[in-house]
Amino acid sequence: MLVNQFLLLGAFLFCTGVYGVLARRNAVMVLMSIELMLNAVNINLLTFGYLHNAVSGQVFALFIIAVAAAEVAVGLAIILLIYRNRASINVDELDLMRG
Amino acid sequence: MTMFASSATSSMPILTWLILLPAVGAALIAILPKSMPGLHRQLGVLFSGGAAGLSIYVATQFDTHSSGFQFETIQEWIPTLGISWHVGVDGISLWLVVLTGLIFPIVLAGIDPHGDEKSYTAWMLMLQAGSFGAFLALDLFMFFVFFEIVLVPMYMLISGWGYADRKYAATKFFLYTMFGSALMLVAMLTLVSLSAGDGGLTFDLVALAERQALGVNTARWLFLAFAFAFAIKVPVAPIHTWLPDAHTQAPTGGSVILAAVMLKLGTYGLLRFGLYLFPEASVHFAPLLVTVGVIGIIYGAIVATVQGDLKRLVAYSSVAHMGFIVLGTFAFTTQGISGSVLQMVNHGVSTGALFILVGMLYERRKTRAIDELSGIQKAAPIFAAVFTVSMLSSVGLPGLNGFAGEFLILIGSFETRRWWTVVAAAGVILAALYLLWAYQRVFHGEPTDADLETPEMRGSEALLMLPFIAAMVFLGVYPQPLLERIEPSVDALVTHLEEHTDYERPEDVVIVPSDEPDSSDEHVDESESEEEDH
Amino acid sequence: MFAQLTQFESPPVDFFSLTPLFILVGGAVVIMLVTSLSPRPIPGWFSTAVSVAASAGAAVVAMVLWNDVRESGPYSTVSDAIGIDGFSLFFTVLVSLGVIATALVGDAYVRREHIAAPEFHALLLTAATGAIVMASANDLVVMFIGLESLSIGLYILAAMQFRRPHGREAAMKYFVLGAFSSAFLLYGIALVYGTTGSTSLIVIRERTSSLGAMVSPSELLIVGIALLLVGFAFKVAAAPFHFWAPDVYEGSGSPVSGFMASVAKAAAFAGLLRVVVVALGANEGDWAVPLAVLSAISIIVGAVMAITQNDVKRMLAFSSVGHAGYILVGVQAATAEGMSSALFYLFAYTFMVIGSFAVVSVIGWDNGHPIERYEGLAKRRPWLAGAFTVFLLAQAGVPMTAGFVAKFLVIKSAVAEEIYWLAILAMVASVITAFMYLRIVMAMWARDADVDDAPRLAVAPATAFVVAAAVAITLVYGIIPDSLIEFTRDAVPALVAGN
Repeated sequence: MLVNQFLLLGAFLFCTGVYGVLARRNAVMVLMSIELMLNAVNINLLTFGYLHNAVSGQVFALFIIAVAAAEVAVGLAIILLIYRNRASINVDELDLMRG
Repeated sequence: MTMFASSATSSMPILTWLILLPAVGAALIAILPKSMPGLHRQLGVLFSGGAAGLSIYVATQFDTHSSGFQFETIQEWIPTLGISWHVGVDGISLWLVVLTGLIFPIVLAGIDPHGDEKSYTAWMLMLQAGSFGAFLALDLFMFFVFFEIVLVPMYMLISGWGYADRKYAATKFFLYTMFGSALMLVAMLTLVSLSAGDGGLTFDLVALAERQALGVNTARWLFLAFAFAFAIKVPVAPIHTWLPDAHTQAPTGGSVILAAVMLKLGTYGLLRFGLYLFPEASVHFAPLLVTVGVIGIIYGAIVATVQGDLKRLVAYSSVAHMGFIVLGTFAFTTQGISGSVLQMVNHGVSTGALFILVGMLYERRKTRAIDELSGIQKAAPIFAAVFTVSMLSSVGLPGLNGFAGEFLILIGSFETRRWWTVVAAAGVILAALYLLWAYQRVFHGEPTDADLETPEMRGSEALLMLPFIAAMVFLGVYPQPLLERIEPSVDALVTHLEEHTDYERPEDVVIVPSDEPDSSDEHVDESESEEEDH
Repeated sequence: MFAQLTQFESPPVDFFSLTPLFILVGGAVVIMLVTSLSPRPIPGWFSTAVSVAASAGAAVVAMVLWNDVRESGPYSTVSDAIGIDGFSLFFTVLVSLGVIATALVGDAYVRREHIAAPEFHALLLTAATGAIVMASANDLVVMFIGLESLSIGLYILAAMQFRRPHGREAAMKYFVLGAFSSAFLLYGIALVYGTTGSTSLIVIRERTSSLGAMVSPSELLIVGIALLLVGFAFKVAAAPFHFWAPDVYEGSGSPVSGFMASVAKAAAFAGLLRVVVVALGANEGDWAVPLAVLSAISIIVGAVMAITQNDVKRMLAFSSVGHAGYILVGVQAATAEGMSSALFYLFAYTFMVIGSFAVVSVIGWDNGHPIERYEGLAKRRPWLAGAFTVFLLAQAGVPMTAGFVAKFLVIKSAVAEEIYWLAILAMVASVITAFMYLRIVMAMWARDADVDDAPRLAVAPATAFVVAAAVAITLVYGIIPDSLIEFTRDAVPALVAGN
């Protein structure tokens, strides 16, 4: 199997995720970009697990999926909190604290 | 380490008590309620006076013929790092300890802090404990701890009880000194880590000084870092700028302690942790330090001349005086260094007295501007007389204490640093110029109505000045008891320099050589003592 | 591995070794169950009491285990995934003490701010469990689980101050950057896993030590280490990955900020030490210099930014960045001495910073924490001002405080490795930061401050106790640090397999 392709796919997805977190203004999109980064990691882990012929990569990926779900739950709750108060989820407007 | 423990001479750790007594007093005062006015200050005088008594006891029991450390105590402190509580006193530190012991109770008893006596007294006692610790420490870590901890009470005293610009002055004082100590800490750790031999790490001053394990270049860098820290504290020009601000803004008591005790940490540090730890580097950099010292003398004098504020003038005169001490220290002759040590005490007495007098004047007139004062002698002749004596002592008039020290420094340095000494001697004349001129403007001349109403010195104030005047006269006519305790240790230090470098002291400096039994265990060497006649 | 799958045997678990974790999680469960199932409202002090008792219990058990480890040596359990060694037990004790302090300070805080007490304390306990798991992990998967339990708990704790816009904003920023940095860390973990073929730190250490002899180390491993460093730098708030810290510390409730600056930072350092310094110790050449650079940048940024602030909490936040830099001075030395100095620093800093934020919590929020509100504190509450002065001077590195000894030790470890530039830079920067600490001290002790119409400050007994204890610890370990130094010297990660 072409291991490199999968690693490159992972790297590409990760970079897309990083770009999304840094450039997107919508908080939900930021959240999704983070998910993208985590999934890039998952692809890497699966690839390496296959490469080493070990199951630990897949196990790790399962853990990440579970934890990511918990993280998203908290993240959406926080976004909701902000939305309820300002009717906007633009992260650029979070600028009360500067300096 | 055990070999040093065996040299402990005292069964009772009297020097440890010297440090602890004021500290305990400070803690006690801190927990007493504020509602008992007067009690705090009385307790403060009691505790600092107790320390004064102990320090005098140490001076009387001090073995005149010994050049080594006496009353030594070694106690493990942080054994994992080779740090111990190692205190001891020798001729170089003895009189500074006595000065520290005596000046605090006098300041506490005689100078009204104007508000919040409780905290003021507690900070003063902590300052005394810290100063004792710094003068007595024979362990680098311990010295550093005390050297730096004294900043806190002084900072609090300036910022809490000072004059209008006190916050700026206090912060500047703290940061300047801390900057120097920052580099010193790195240098100290480098020294310890590079000197670590088979015996493991040790921060013990004596062990490190005897080991001399560093390469020439390393030692020079480390010496520069140490010297820089001490130079800030002394202070030498051009890193003196914190001093005029701190002195001017500090309350009178703070100024007195700053001048009498804290500046001495710098010059004492140069002797103890410069010359003793880094003999080769000291000799190498001596021309630099002597130059800086002489610049301080001339610069301090010139700037003092043009000051319009009397307290600032005294502060700048401090810069000049401390320059003399640096010059004497790096002359590397027994007279020069002995003169420096003596001058440290003298400067404490005379500048301390001047600060107290300026403080009294400020209380009477609410101004220190020389322009606004005139002809005060007519209204307050006794005040003027006391001021005259203190000022002449600071100028270095023969018969008063300033002369003995400056004279020794000048003779001692003339042999080894001829041209610098010539320039420095001009500084003596300049000192006479600016102090007399200021005196003339303030105390003579045509008095205004306000000047004529200046109250005369009160009995309690005269009582406060009495010990200062007595010390000036006594040290001026009979400095022998001090010198005969100072000289053996200084001589051993010069011998230490000779042993570890190619420096040789000039032979002809010895006026009256005499053999004295030397009981020190680290420098078994011949020692000379000189007779002074003037 | 596949054999295990076909015929699954559960790994042997030494339950006693895991007792501290069980106690903490159990405490959280008890709090949630009792308060939600009870028909009558449960008073707020119940949750406080349970979390204090649970953390105290965890600390006591950790001390018992510590004795075992000293006698019979470190070991691993749960099929080598959890290491019981001096290092993990040190952090168990440290984190437990941090939770006790935060819970006690939080007691008055949740009441004043009308925050749900059971949730606050339960989250504190689960976050602490995560922190301890991070410090004990012998496996990257376990490390990740610990990190996430810590982080998710902290996201919610940060969001508990949601009635203020600052609080909501802080929670959002903390969440986004926390998750972002976790992703970096995970990517690094994935690459390390890919190059070494195992998630077990024990195996990773074996394989990288033998790889070290190879002519060219794998580029992927270097990239992995770099990503790990970035991830951990985010978590410990080291510059230039610190920018979340000031906002988050400012916006979160003060006890939570104290918890983040102490326990969360300590846990992140524990992870950094365990994974990078110990497991990847053979690759020192790849991470020591980057860590030194991170350390230098953090110290400079912490110092320079701190003095430009006007808000006490932001000052403390930037100083916390600087302190991360000082701890990194010890870490980058990559020696046993450096590591123990970093642990000493973490221990000392924990109490200084929790104490500081406890004082900040007492002063309270009023459109931020401008320094003007601290003016004349010495007249209103002299002992509180005195305590804060001790914490600030300790952070400035004034002798006779644990902060000084900590700084002394990290600088010593750098000097011993002849990294003089960093030692000098760190000490010079400490002078700059001292200016900021002195500003606060000066404001508190201003004698001309007008405090007559200032409201009376209520200091709850529990808060007072924490402040007093933190002062005592700061001073005692500043004057006689020997026992703590020995403690930290024994607390090195062992990474041994088997029980």
